[in-house]
Amino acid sequence: MAASAADVRSILSLPSSSSAGTQPHPKKPTAPSTRKPDGISRELFALIGPSAPSIAAQLAKPRLKQKPNFGGGGKVKWEFRSFKNSARSDGLELGHWVKASTDPNAEYPFVKYNVQPTEYTYSQDEYTRFLEDNEWSKEETDYLFKIVKEYDSRWYVIHDRYNYPEGTARTLEDLKDRYYSVCRKLVRNLPWAGDDASKTSLLASFQFDKEREMTRKKYVASLESRTPEQISEEEALYVEIKRLEQNERRFKRERDELLRTLLGVDSGLPEIVGMVDDEGPMGGSMDNGKKRRRGTLDSPMTPSNVISLGPPMPRRAQSAKSAVVLTDALHCIIRTDPPPATTTATKAAHQPVHLRSFKLPIPKATIAPKISQALSELGVSHARLVMPTRENSVQLESLLDATSALVEIKKVVDRVDQDIRVLKARLGRRASEGVDADADADPDADAEGEADAEGETNTGSGTGAPTPMNVDEGGDGEGDNGRAHSVVSTRSGRSRKQTRRSLSVSSIDTSASVSTRGGRKRQRRT
Amino acid sequence: MVNYGGDEVSALVVDIGTSSIRAGYAGDDTPKAIIPTSYGYKSKNSDGDVSMTEGEDGEAKKKDVKLFLGQHGPSIWRDQMEIGNPVRDGLIHDFVPIAPLISHALEDVMRCSAAEHPVLVTEPAWNTTANRERMAEIMFEEFQVPAFYIANTGVLNAFAAGKGSALVIDVGETMASITPVVDGFVLRKGLVSSTLPQLVHANAKHILTTHTAVRRGIDLYPHQLVASKTPVEPHALPRFTLREDRVSGTTESWKKWYEANEVDEWIQSVAGVLDQGWNDQVAASRSPKQYEFPTGYNAYFGPERFAVGEQFFSHSRELAATNPNLPKSIPQLISESLRACDPDLRQVLMGNVVLTGGGSLFAGFSERLSNELGRNFPHVKIHAPGNSAERRYGGWLGGSILASLGTFHQLWISKEEWQEHGKAIVGQRCK
Repeated sequence: MAASAADVRSILSLPSSSSAGTQPHPKKPTAPSTRKPDGISRELFALIGPSAPSIAAQLAKPRLKQKPNFGGGGKVKWEFRSFKNSARSDGLELGHWVKASTDPNAEYPFVKYNVQPTEYTYSQDEYTRFLEDNEWSKEETDYLFKIVKEYDSRWYVIHDRYNYPEGTARTLEDLKDRYYSVCRKLVRNLPWAGDDASKTSLLASFQFDKEREMTRKKYVASLESRTPEQISEEEALYVEIKRLEQNERRFKRERDELLRTLLGVDSGLPEIVGMVDDEGPMGGSMDNGKKRRRGTLDSPMTPSNVISLGPPMPRRAQSAKSAVVLTDALHCIIRTDPPPATTTATKAAHQPVHLRSFKLPIPKATIAPKISQALSELGVSHARLVMPTRENSVQLESLLDATSALVEIKKVVDRVDQDIRVLKARLGRRASEGVDADADADPDADAEGEADAEGETNTGSGTGAPTPMNVDEGGDGEGDNGRAHSVVSTRSGRSRKQTRRSLSVSSIDTSASVSTRGGRKRQRRT
Repeated sequence: MVNYGGDEVSALVVDIGTSSIRAGYAGDDTPKAIIPTSYGYKSKNSDGDVSMTEGEDGEAKKKDVKLFLGQHGPSIWRDQMEIGNPVRDGLIHDFVPIAPLISHALEDVMRCSAAEHPVLVTEPAWNTTANRERMAEIMFEEFQVPAFYIANTGVLNAFAAGKGSALVIDVGETMASITPVVDGFVLRKGLVSSTLPQLVHANAKHILTTHTAVRRGIDLYPHQLVASKTPVEPHALPRFTLREDRVSGTTESWKKWYEANEVDEWIQSVAGVLDQGWNDQVAASRSPKQYEFPTGYNAYFGPERFAVGEQFFSHSRELAATNPNLPKSIPQLISESLRACDPDLRQVLMGNVVLTGGGSLFAGFSERLSNELGRNFPHVKIHAPGNSAERRYGGWLGGSILASLGTFHQLWISKEEWQEHGKAIVGQRCK
């Protein structure tokens, strides 16, 4: 609304001169006063005028937080009153300032906090019937109940103040055990007013296992009495087990990955995974070195066995076969299966129309060079198909699958070989140290069995006298290692026996053991 | 009113310590009246004759002696004035001056009458039954209080820190004590105390007054006996004149009192403790502090000022060899106290350590303590108020909190109960 001449006049408080100004003048003040909505300021209304948007009608007055009412505008009357505390047995009257508006006859507000716990009592008769105990006299039990009441079942304080004359020294557990057992017996044997549920819950609240408490306390005490070395060792062990767990998890992930690329996830693999899971030392419990060692020794063999058993082909072939079902031979259109029902029909899961040649499998980047190398050895170029018919692409796919499976298996075989070599070397080292490592080793795994036998021989020689002969023998055994497995394994039973004998016979018998060793050597050379 | 659990019945709280008596209204955060526990006295009939000795019969003393109490009591030189202190090793051993001291604090300083207010008095944890009953008797019979309660300083210090369970380390003027408090009760088996602060004080005095290669023994004259002095260079011999008129009238006990005062002043401004155990190099590397005595003698104190505080935490080998029964050091006391406590409780207590008492304001004390404890216990939390008034008057503050709680008012021993049950009620009620 543009300012009229009349407005200027009125702002400057000039008298309105013209007759034209008289007409709008009386109108103007009335219009805003009647039309101005509530939540809008006068200045704003003057600016936007009656053409105020309809939303302005909803602008209510801003609601501020209500001003706190400090008891009627500072006119509170306080008065000093003396009061009696009904929690007291005497008539002590103390005084305090209260608002005059409060009821002078009201109960002292803090009395409600004076809660008395349920008290358990027993008569002489009940005591003789239910509560007899060789360890406790009735007088001492009475004393116990009195002091428990006095200190409101604060057991640490009760134990601290417990001082029964001519009584034996009682531990905190003794006191608790006696008190709770008496309460249990009383609740169980005396007539009960409430329902059974409340009775059982009450009984449960009086449960006290003295032995367990004492063991627990012993543990707490031993936890405190650890030396700094023990604590640091414990921390180191904890870090170690965390590291092992992490290794195990990484290993499992890699193996899963491998199985998925080679086999897919069907054909009983979940079981294998589950089994490996159980076997893995991930329970957070402390494992001894032996179990850990065996875990790492066994686990690589499990998947490699399975891989060799399971042919990598069937799944692909199957899917290819099932895909043929919907074939429009006339138009040379092949409808592949819709994606499995488990995946939801989202945009990402939708497979649009595509050319077959775009869907050629691409080998994994990590093993791609090896695959192309293997294929080029065969004289096949997999990069581009001259004629990407369905059959051809299926063929290429299966070829690539087979090649990558081959490469993966080669990798696993290499790794297992390396593991076996390392472990054998370790066993040999242990054996040469003269440690009887195989006393309780597991003989079922093949590699381990062999290793055992190996360890056995070396141990046998180790327990004999350290003659130069002995050193020769050790070297010999290691030399034999690779070529004469069968000999070693046939020999293992006897050599074990021999070891036992030479152990029991003590060191005087060195010549005999040397001679038997000579015999063995002869046998091996046959 | 009920929201914060407080209900003030204008109770008075009286906390009697070795160095000072604190009195004030419950609900306040600092005591209104703080007067020295030491008092001066002079026998009226025998002027100029030192007849009053410590061991004399209290009744006779009461009749014909004039007491000088409060801020203008012992600190003002008076001819033939002796100095007494009713508290020895934290316990009141002489009840004769207790009533005048309390009445001075309540009536002369606070200007209120004990007969109109319930009174809460504190006691150390090792107080005897006879002592607390005597205190109740004084309050009821002499002051005619309507209600009385006697509470343990260990518990009150825990309350002042806002804790129900705590391990209270209280280092006072003459006693250092460790009090395990559980749910507002002292575990008496775990309570230990020693006269360690006295050893520290004696050691400091020894350092100051003995002649050494670098320094002559220092004269510990107070300003009351020095007539004039002229400024001198550090480590130079002081030039001052004594007030010869006063020297002859100074009693042995006043001399002892002012010397102790001078040593305390020196400890408070100069002495400290290293925060990581004793180490000659670290002690030498700290900057020396200058201190001037009332005689005008002034000197820089180097490593020796740390040797004083070290006494709290470890005793030197030669000292331990010559004195077989030294008071136990603070770490020894703590481990002894914890050993007597239940294994379950130790963790709780170490997580709630409350450091209190004026002696704990010793420079570097709380840092050293937290280092010592942190080395031996995995989870330690030390509550040490930074406010020195809160640290020095923790017992009073806890009493102020306790006596202004609405739920506490059922525990007062009323005059009626006192008359009905006699002394036995004190032991029954104040557990």
